[in-house]
Amino acid sequence: METISSATWQALQLLLSGDTALWEIILISFRVSILAILLATPPALLMAFMLAFGQFPGRRLLIAIVNTALAIPAVVIGLTLYLLLSRSGPLGEWRLLFTQTAMVLGQIALAFPLLVAMAHTALQAADRRAWETARMLGASRLRAVWTLMYEVRFGLMSALLASFGRIIAEVGASMMLGGNILHYTRNIPTAIALETSKGEFAQGIALGLVLLLLAFALNLLLHYFQGKGQIAA
Amino acid sequence: MRKLTSALWLSTCLVLPVFADEQKPANPIIKMATTTSTQDSGLLTQILPNFQKKTGYEVQVTAVGTGKALKLGENGDVDVVLVHARADEDKFVAAGFGDQRYSVMYNDFIFVGPEEDPAKVKATKTTTDALKQIAATQSPFVSRGDDSGTHKMEKKLWDQAGVKPAGEWYREAGQGMGEVLQMSGELKAYTLTDRGTWLATMDKSPLKIVLEGDKTLLNPYGIIAVSQKRYPDTNHAGAQALIDWMISAEGQQAISDFKINGQSLFTPSADPAEVKPATEPAKTN
Amino acid sequence: MNELIFHQLSKHYGKRCLFTELTLPLIAGQCLLLTGKNGAGKSTLMRILAGLDKPDQGEIQADGKRYSWRAYRPQLQRQILYLHQQPYLFEGSVWDNLAYALTRGLPRSEQHQQIEAIADWAGLTALLMNPAKRLSGGEAQRLAMARALLRKPRALLLDEPTANMDQAARLLTLEMLEDLKRQGLRLMVASHDPDWFQAVTNQHLAL
Repeated sequence: METISSATWQALQLLLSGDTALWEIILISFRVSILAILLATPPALLMAFMLAFGQFPGRRLLIAIVNTALAIPAVVIGLTLYLLLSRSGPLGEWRLLFTQTAMVLGQIALAFPLLVAMAHTALQAADRRAWETARMLGASRLRAVWTLMYEVRFGLMSALLASFGRIIAEVGASMMLGGNILHYTRNIPTAIALETSKGEFAQGIALGLVLLLLAFALNLLLHYFQGKGQIAA
Repeated sequence: MRKLTSALWLSTCLVLPVFADEQKPANPIIKMATTTSTQDSGLLTQILPNFQKKTGYEVQVTAVGTGKALKLGENGDVDVVLVHARADEDKFVAAGFGDQRYSVMYNDFIFVGPEEDPAKVKATKTTTDALKQIAATQSPFVSRGDDSGTHKMEKKLWDQAGVKPAGEWYREAGQGMGEVLQMSGELKAYTLTDRGTWLATMDKSPLKIVLEGDKTLLNPYGIIAVSQKRYPDTNHAGAQALIDWMISAEGQQAISDFKINGQSLFTPSADPAEVKPATEPAKTN
Repeated sequence: MNELIFHQLSKHYGKRCLFTELTLPLIAGQCLLLTGKNGAGKSTLMRILAGLDKPDQGEIQADGKRYSWRAYRPQLQRQILYLHQQPYLFEGSVWDNLAYALTRGLPRSEQHQQIEAIADWAGLTALLMNPAKRLSGGEAQRLAMARALLRKPRALLLDEPTANMDQAARLLTLEMLEDLKRQGLRLMVASHDPDWFQAVTNQHLAL
């Protein structure tokens, strides 16, 4: 019991004192995850749009695949990419394993199905009249897509935030693909795993607190956007 | 729950009186924290059943890094620790968390690296020269970076070589030995490993042994019972029984009989001075 | 030469026939009133004319040529605009909604002039900066009409334009329709309450 309170106290001190090692890890986490979300979002939105409004053979199958992909554990995605990127794997030439790029790829793979599924739901709720009106008023397809997405932007924002929350707290794929290398691929979740295995609970709790605060902030934002979305609908 | 357990034990004793010794321990569960090397190599899985059959104890093993294993002991979460980090073990005892450290065995560390051997480590004879060469040529080196026994050993060796490893070529992975070996294979890097993990994974690794046999690479294991004074509710009798068995002639023989690919992984090294005369081995309460 | 005639339109929903072999001229400066019960297919017919839905068969004759529905869609769709029963207004102000309909790349002064002129015509000048989603039923309908007119269509199809409106708003809408006829626009109005539109109606089609 003594451990929890004293470790938490030390954790707060570490955070507030601007401990560089700690903040470096936090920075790496955010850099990798934000990049992953930025890269995953455009194709995910496009795909969600096609699933919601397109009519093509295999659409239902694709929706089923996306929903199944949601249930794939992160470590499995990590392992698959590991085998692809490994020196003996088909993409081994690229020498990407144990780099931030590999982590970004893993997080994109994790975020993508969630982004598509949530954006699909948001777009399905969009008013078909919005699309028809935009097209009748002379909007190009691209502009009409943009208009429609703007109309359901709160739902799409929720999708983004939820996906970000998923990847920034994910340990399995990051550990496997990044390798938890200090100053380079050590992010918050892999650092927590390491500090715990070392018995350095204060560091672990400090990083846990960062994730907790982040989750809280994301939830507040989600709540805000979902509320907005309901008013707009 | 306790009723159920004792009922189970009772029935075991009735049905299999051969296996259960005449003394039935009051608290048959011993919780041991140890390093991944003893568990992953398969040593404990092979030797512990002998102890369990003989005494009726059941050993529950938690395999973690040395740092965490000691921490579990400090918190009284386990009854006994089996680790390899001499300085920390002595500190652990000095701080009153454990009663006494017993030598059990040692294994050795080796340096592995890419076949091409860019730092020409194979030509060196001592760890000091090897590490100096690696640093001088800035050849990739993956460190465990997880405060484990192996990591502590590695840091000690860098100290002895008078090199402060830093830079792009020196990667602190913060993962287990198996993962670090994999990573070193991928990155064509050197690393320090215990022989057990190496033997278990060498078939799949592109790496080769580049240095072995230096005296500084010996890795002694110690076993310590958690202090009963500090944590009265630990299974101290069980812990002591396990220690007594590990350092007994029988336990030591079991350790040296454990082999992978025909090679002994651990060399028994109990100090005769620490072994109690085998009068009352596992008396409880 | 300026004719716009739909020929032999047919549409079925499953086994139910909404209309078959329908010939429908849209005449400049005239208003066609479309009546029928709910579910008779008024909206479906209008959506087909506007190119939003597909008929089972049918052709269109325009400017001396005949097009299949497929060929017609890309060519003429944007000249025949359909206003939903509850028009969809985009997020943003009344001004933003009007600007949406303007051809991109128009000089700024030209944009302003067109928006102000049409807003004045629809009685929306005072509301230009108001959020579009908060307009009343009548204001929303007028904005939708004004927005559609900025596209300079040949025909305007209005689906129940006076639903959810008070007396004054309905009268204002009728006046605007009268004015559009004078400008030579082809109008089509669907309503299950035909009495209201007697004054502006030239032809009557009951489904």
